[in-house]
Amino acid sequence: MKRRVWLIAMVLLALGLGYAQPKVLPAYTSLGVTTGKAGGSLTLSLASAPQTFFYYGAIDSAIQNLTNQMFDGLIEYNLANYQIEPALATRWSITDSRVYTFDLRRDVRWHDGRPFTADDVVFTYTQIVANPEARGGDAANFEGVKIEKLGDFRVRFTLPKPAPAFIHYMRLPIMPKHKLLPFSQEGGKPRAEINNAWPTNVNPEEVVGTGPFRLRSYTPGQQVTLVKNPNYWKRDTAGNPLPYLEQLQYLIITDSQARVAQFLAGNIGQINITGAEFPDLKRRETQGAPFRVVQFRALFGSPPHIGFNYNAKNAELANLFKNSDFRRALQFAVNRERIIEDVYNGLAERASYGVAPLSEWYYPEVARLQGRFDLNAANAALDRLGLRRGPDGIRRLPSGRPLEFTLTYGSNSAVFTAIATILQSDFQRVGVKVNLQGILAANLLSTGRGQDWEAILLALGDQPDPELRTPIWKPGGALYYWHQATQPTTPTGQPQFNNFLPWEREIYDLWERAASTTNFTQRKALYDRWQSIVAREAQVIMIAKEYAVGAVSNRYGNYIYSLGVIPGFNPVPLMFQR
Amino acid sequence: MGVYLLRRVLVAIPTLWLISVLVFAVIQLQPGGFLENLLEDPRVSRETIENIRRQYLLDQPVWVQYLHWLGGIVRGDFGYSFLNSRPVSELIWERMGWTVFLAFLTILVTWVIAIPLGIYTALNRYGPSSTALNFVGYFGLATPDFLVALLLIYWVLSTGGTNVGGLFSPQYIDAPWSWAKFQDMLAHLWIPLIVIGLDGTATIMRQMRANLLDVLSQDYIRTARAKGLAERVVLWKHAVRNAINPLISLAGLQLPTLISSTIIASIVLSLPTIGPFLYDSLLNKDQYVVMALLMLSALLLMVGNLLADVLLAWVDPRIRYE
Repeated sequence: MKRRVWLIAMVLLALGLGYAQPKVLPAYTSLGVTTGKAGGSLTLSLASAPQTFFYYGAIDSAIQNLTNQMFDGLIEYNLANYQIEPALATRWSITDSRVYTFDLRRDVRWHDGRPFTADDVVFTYTQIVANPEARGGDAANFEGVKIEKLGDFRVRFTLPKPAPAFIHYMRLPIMPKHKLLPFSQEGGKPRAEINNAWPTNVNPEEVVGTGPFRLRSYTPGQQVTLVKNPNYWKRDTAGNPLPYLEQLQYLIITDSQARVAQFLAGNIGQINITGAEFPDLKRRETQGAPFRVVQFRALFGSPPHIGFNYNAKNAELANLFKNSDFRRALQFAVNRERIIEDVYNGLAERASYGVAPLSEWYYPEVARLQGRFDLNAANAALDRLGLRRGPDGIRRLPSGRPLEFTLTYGSNSAVFTAIATILQSDFQRVGVKVNLQGILAANLLSTGRGQDWEAILLALGDQPDPELRTPIWKPGGALYYWHQATQPTTPTGQPQFNNFLPWEREIYDLWERAASTTNFTQRKALYDRWQSIVAREAQVIMIAKEYAVGAVSNRYGNYIYSLGVIPGFNPVPLMFQR
Repeated sequence: MGVYLLRRVLVAIPTLWLISVLVFAVIQLQPGGFLENLLEDPRVSRETIENIRRQYLLDQPVWVQYLHWLGGIVRGDFGYSFLNSRPVSELIWERMGWTVFLAFLTILVTWVIAIPLGIYTALNRYGPSSTALNFVGYFGLATPDFLVALLLIYWVLSTGGTNVGGLFSPQYIDAPWSWAKFQDMLAHLWIPLIVIGLDGTATIMRQMRANLLDVLSQDYIRTARAKGLAERVVLWKHAVRNAINPLISLAGLQLPTLISSTIIASIVLSLPTIGPFLYDSLLNKDQYVVMALLMLSALLLMVGNLLADVLLAWVDPRIRYE
């Protein structure tokens, strides 16, 4: 008897240590997930060649995509409801939104067999993420954060002040200390040296992560191959090891039409497409092509908006742009329904500010406050502003000059071009002349942050917590580009409060309070209030949020849409080849 | 001949130097730069940018930067890619193989097809087949290469084919060379050959036709015929040899197109060549890569010209460089 108890204890110990703590994924039946079978290979695409194999060495969508498959963060998102779940951390405690303590998953191994420990976490956050010279790091959000190891499998982050959204930063990929130490300050190198880790000609054996796949090879300009990590720490609901797939291949295809062609030819197993490409693929699907086109409402993704330059060089225009009545008047002339129908082929919905309609933070009143398309209301409101029409039908500014401005948009994006044209013709109908100026979509944000623009069609990303987008939406933030007079004159200085509009001051205070409020309901109330103010004031004119549309070959099961570049949201391990 | 070659090489040095000044000046004139683009990301701070600037000497006066760059080139160091954090020469070298292979193959195929067609259309000026060939020639000249690429891709797809881009099917890209891989390459290769070569084929065919028609109306051809030479000899020994001369100079100009002329076609067809790499670098203002490729392009133009001149002397006994 005594011996048997001893045996049971031994077995429990072995289960606890030897077989460690695999994570069993939720069933995800609502997403149509079933038990898959192991084996097979999937080919995906990258829109550009990777610039490096080190996630923090560049801001590069290709390596962001690949990193999602090769590395893990401490936390990750539930694929169905975006709730935060354990990943490399098994559990955590948060005290006053200021002290975050994480217990790490035991017996996770790096791809080369070395054990994953608290040292790797501390190294990643102190030497890389908080390193101001790491190009893909995030030093600003880790300033003053104390990171300590409390044992081999426990780490603690102590923040200088409460930050309720801080937990979201814990999805950043954890890097192996034993491989990267020679590139770090701790390893005796200058801080910038970290960017030189794992260049694209690195030996693939060197790039080790904890993720579901590991790097096998890179053929420059053509393809990246990843193979299954047989020791991955995730299991499906039935207890089978994940990932199912044996191999992932990424073809490098710059041109979006070429990607669609490769998909139609069967060379690529899954692609993300836009609403513009949807009708053609959907038609082929209904005609019996061997693939499915699937749409999801997206939490991430960037809805376009019209930004007006409150500090436009033309003082008369600046005065108008700063006037909420003017922006509201123009908002009446924005035909969102038509844009959703014609440009997105119906695959979009009304957007709010910084949070997706799907998000728990979304304030449903926003759509009502934004109003509907109504040219009469637009005309009446513009008349009330004293902007009388001239003989040519164009309204006149107080100085007698015609009311015209330039709208800058991304001319290499089919969506932006179509939206800009619709706006131009509708604004013309209310006597406002718009001159379109097309630039490369990649240069939109830098143009917006400069001074040489009047109105701009720009898209900024939604995040699961509004707090994460503070630089955009809090007046005076680094990306509060439409009212640059509010921004501090020195990088670390205070915003220029004297240039704030009254409602901007109000939302500034709301954001200040929200940042130090820890109770969810109270935070939600503050951010609801913020959304109602910016919608009421038409701070910028939000246009529409596109649905996520993907196409997947019938050879594969368990497909769940993913943007690919979002750390902590990775459904690929569940995919399997039929 | 040796003296002539030496002289040409010596003349090339100051020319290249002038080009380097020009290239550097053009890059300096563009507004913004790679580092300004970096600022777009909220994670990148001013401090980071200043550090990188110092690291790459970008805080120094322009002439110091220029001398540093030039000094590097003389030592064979073309600088560092901001985007890839790797030496430029390595990156170019990685993509050089396929670029050179595709370019030479295209030039070869172009010539092998275009010269006989040019001769044929010149000899049968008013025949229906010549008219048809001329039409194809005009079509090739008038259609942008990327459009041809898209049309071909569409055609392949609608006939149920799967080879719609790249040089290999995904399973062969990393595979060692084998007969199957070679066949797979041939199955992919014809699209880029048509796309990149169509324009050149049409040009050379029409040039050859015009030259040959010119030559055929010369007195010495009539004389040759009057002497009673066989038509075959008249055509190949007298007419074609003379008509082909201007085309050799033209060939010299084709070398730099190795780098620049196939950018859009390469993007549409996802070819692993230098074209898309140059395009990316231009968009991202990765200046050392752009400058290196522009210099390389200039160098290739000069080498091409020299080769053409040497070839001319070899082909045409009347041309002597002394």
